[in-house]
Amino acid sequence: MSKRYSIVAFVAVLALVAAACGGDEETPSATGETPAATGQTGEVPTGGVLREETVDFGFTNAFDPTGEYLGTAWSYYGNLLMRGLVSYPWLPGDQGGNEPVADLATDTGQLSADGLTLTFTLKDGVMWQPPLDRPVTSQDVAWAFQRINTESLIAQYGNYYCGTIVGMDCSGKSQEDPIEGIETPDDSTIVFQLERPTGDFLFRLAQPAAAPVPPEVAGCFSEAGEYGRYVMSSGPYMLLGSDEMDVSSCNTLEPISGYDPDRFMYYTRNPNYDQATDDNRQNYVDGFAQVINTNVEDSFNRVLNGDIDMVHGAPPAAILQQYLTNPDLEDNFKAEQGDRTWYITMNLIVPPFDDIHVRKAVNLVVDKASLLQSTGGPTSGDVATTIEPPAVLPDTASYDPYATPNLAGDLDAAKAEMAQSAYDSDGDGVCDDPVCQDVLLVNRNYEPWTNYTPILQENLSAIGIELKIRELEIDTAYTTIQTMNNLVPIAINAGWGKDYASPYGFDFFLFNTAGLACEGLVNYAMVGLTEDLASECGDNVLDAYNAAVEANGPIPNVDEDMEACVTTPPGDAYNACWATLDQRLMEEIVPWVPYRWGSQNVAIGDSVVQWVYDQSAAWTAYSRVAVDNDLTIEDVAS
Amino acid sequence: MIRYIIRRLLWVLVTLLLVALITYTIFFVMPSTDPAVNFAGKQPTPELVARVRELFGLDKPFVVQYGQFVGRLFLGDDYGWPGLGFSFSTRSELKPVILDRLWVTAQLAIGAAILWLMIGIPIGILSALKPRSIFDRLAMGFALFGVSAPVFFIGPVLLYIFWYKLQLLPGTGYYPIEDGLSQWYLHMLLPWCVLALGFAAFYARMSRANLIETMGEDYIRTARAKGLSERRVVLKHGLRASLTPIVTMLGLDLGALLGGAIITETVFNLPGIGQYAVQSDFYAILDITLIAAFFITIANLIVDIVYAFLDPRVRYT
Repeated sequence: MSKRYSIVAFVAVLALVAAACGGDEETPSATGETPAATGQTGEVPTGGVLREETVDFGFTNAFDPTGEYLGTAWSYYGNLLMRGLVSYPWLPGDQGGNEPVADLATDTGQLSADGLTLTFTLKDGVMWQPPLDRPVTSQDVAWAFQRINTESLIAQYGNYYCGTIVGMDCSGKSQEDPIEGIETPDDSTIVFQLERPTGDFLFRLAQPAAAPVPPEVAGCFSEAGEYGRYVMSSGPYMLLGSDEMDVSSCNTLEPISGYDPDRFMYYTRNPNYDQATDDNRQNYVDGFAQVINTNVEDSFNRVLNGDIDMVHGAPPAAILQQYLTNPDLEDNFKAEQGDRTWYITMNLIVPPFDDIHVRKAVNLVVDKASLLQSTGGPTSGDVATTIEPPAVLPDTASYDPYATPNLAGDLDAAKAEMAQSAYDSDGDGVCDDPVCQDVLLVNRNYEPWTNYTPILQENLSAIGIELKIRELEIDTAYTTIQTMNNLVPIAINAGWGKDYASPYGFDFFLFNTAGLACEGLVNYAMVGLTEDLASECGDNVLDAYNAAVEANGPIPNVDEDMEACVTTPPGDAYNACWATLDQRLMEEIVPWVPYRWGSQNVAIGDSVVQWVYDQSAAWTAYSRVAVDNDLTIEDVAS
Repeated sequence: MIRYIIRRLLWVLVTLLLVALITYTIFFVMPSTDPAVNFAGKQPTPELVARVRELFGLDKPFVVQYGQFVGRLFLGDDYGWPGLGFSFSTRSELKPVILDRLWVTAQLAIGAAILWLMIGIPIGILSALKPRSIFDRLAMGFALFGVSAPVFFIGPVLLYIFWYKLQLLPGTGYYPIEDGLSQWYLHMLLPWCVLALGFAAFYARMSRANLIETMGEDYIRTARAKGLSERRVVLKHGLRASLTPIVTMLGLDLGALLGGAIITETVFNLPGIGQYAVQSDFYAILDITLIAAFFITIANLIVDIVYAFLDPRVRYT
């Protein structure tokens, strides 16, 4: 009897294993059509719902556009909900995707000869969604700036406007207070008065915080983030259920049913949107469903299974391997320029990196090719040779001041540089000072960053710098290097993405003294650090500062260079100014070793028949995507 | 007994206050969890961080903040009672979110508990009654596998087999009961099984060990000698004594699970409080920590009271 049971059990196990391992390869669902290439036109179906999953929304200001700083949110705002005076064409960089274009305005503004006055005329026929049911006016645009200027609303990138527009200082007490430098002579005209000529002002106007907001709804919320669950649309889509809001008074407002910050976000078409007023968006799909799924691998399996259309975020390594090795999935994987630089930062006041020759030697010795390979190879991006990603500053795209054979580092050149350092007493190219021992390096504690550790250890050891590695959880790693008192010598955990495709938006806080603070500093290299600030942040910071200045002279400062570039009129001269600053940073100050310009990797399902990359937000151009499912948003949301 | 219960409830209160104090202190000590810096965005200038601190009352001294937190909790806040505060990241009140998620976690925990009791105890009993038999060996092998295989491994494997390959069950996600009993059940089946597996294995081992020990007692021999049927000897005399520790364990395990089965909820994308604790912020984590502590301490109390009823030798004063 027991023998029979044993046989049955064995057969059952075999059957289970066979079912799990056998069968066909995963077959794509739907029609099996290959998704159209980026920007391809032709018969593009309309209708359907784009179904996307994400681990979490990650909004930094609860989806309130006044302060929201997350790129994903900007993608939703710009493609779906908000029409600014200017915005973007929602295209790849090589098709002008990073250049502001007229959206709500009839053109990109009339600039006065002195560069201090910019006038826009609003298009006719751009309406707010129901239940507002009225035209978007210049006062709505002005209200957006009044919100930015209001202290309690915590405009997280208010620095782009405050101090630039006359009367804006981000310390306003009420969003009802008008701004001196913004005039609205009529419903269709808005005039900006600037404190100084600002070459990238159009880019700043293209940011979601500058897009119009309706005072009758937004005006009900006076604290940061509160408006996020009540966002009204002037764009082609609106949040599901938002048309049912009772906007008769602030007391009657209820959070939009189609947006649950912990679970989902559903969009449907805005019936008041007029396609004839919009050259930038194509709006093929009928709705969008953004749903949270904490199991990211499950999400990607759902894409492969045809249950959803895409996942927000790059695929994990095991999933990525499927996309890269399975020919059936080749067209479903996209790798686009992410406009983000990953870098090694070196502290200008902490030995041995207070010596410029050491910093240059590190730039020469680091094997960037290996770092890229350990990240995932070409799909993860390109080797970075300077600070600005190519799409942000094309002028420096081929600038490589520390070129090495095959991008793999040049030990001889590095040693030659190190030999000039005060820390190499015998001039053999290897640091022989005790400060080169046990040099703290801060890193993240997961791949691919942990893959970088042995590469850097080997590279820097060759020039005599022995690293003491600290691999930390991401938030802790950032907080550690953001705290000036920690005096972290070198770190590789950080990356920086553009706010907009102009160098000011990239460089400013990274190298300006405005990015220095005792806590929360962003200028990790301490460029421009002064004695006053150093003394505020602790005795050890002051001591390090004084020692660095005594040994190497004043800490270099680029604030004036930046100011000169910001006030340069837009165009070739503007970019040339920033290119010159980039060169100065890389050759005369050397705060970083940029090693990768990151790609944005996107995996899409077969039901996505047209997918376009939006360079401005470095994500999917939702307003140009098309799917071939026949779903309605009500089907998906139920 | 009443006095005992009141005393224990007071200790629950003290425990919760201590847990709140420790958790609050941790947030102050660890800079990476500073909500002001996190809320200030990508470029947290000192001015911006100061503004955030002022807005959320984070600029007040630690003692004041903690006092306000405790006051809100017990007396209520702008959103009602208990005062669970709001979420920094979503700017919405936490009470409805936590209550909704607690309901999901409760469904997961209670369903898994029923399953592991239905599986673990009978296996343990049969193993105990037939020690060293083939069944016993298979059962203990299952128990070894169950306690060894972690949820984050078993969950994705079963999802792959039963959803992705065989399409027998739906995938991840939560389906409310009110939207359809059968869909709700099918969506919960795999999470219940995965969560119950480890516990069933453990309970099987515990039941077996306890029953083997009990069946060796003198009074069991006496019961048999008196001519009682084996069934009666086992069920009425042996089981009652051997399951008493199981009741204790069940209470504690349920109490702990109601604080959030984090891994199961994450793997199966169930919007429970465990999953929420992982992805949320300051006040939410504080609230969930307190809720977990509450359930564990209350579970301890309930188990102790039930024990007194099960074992007449136990009396509390």
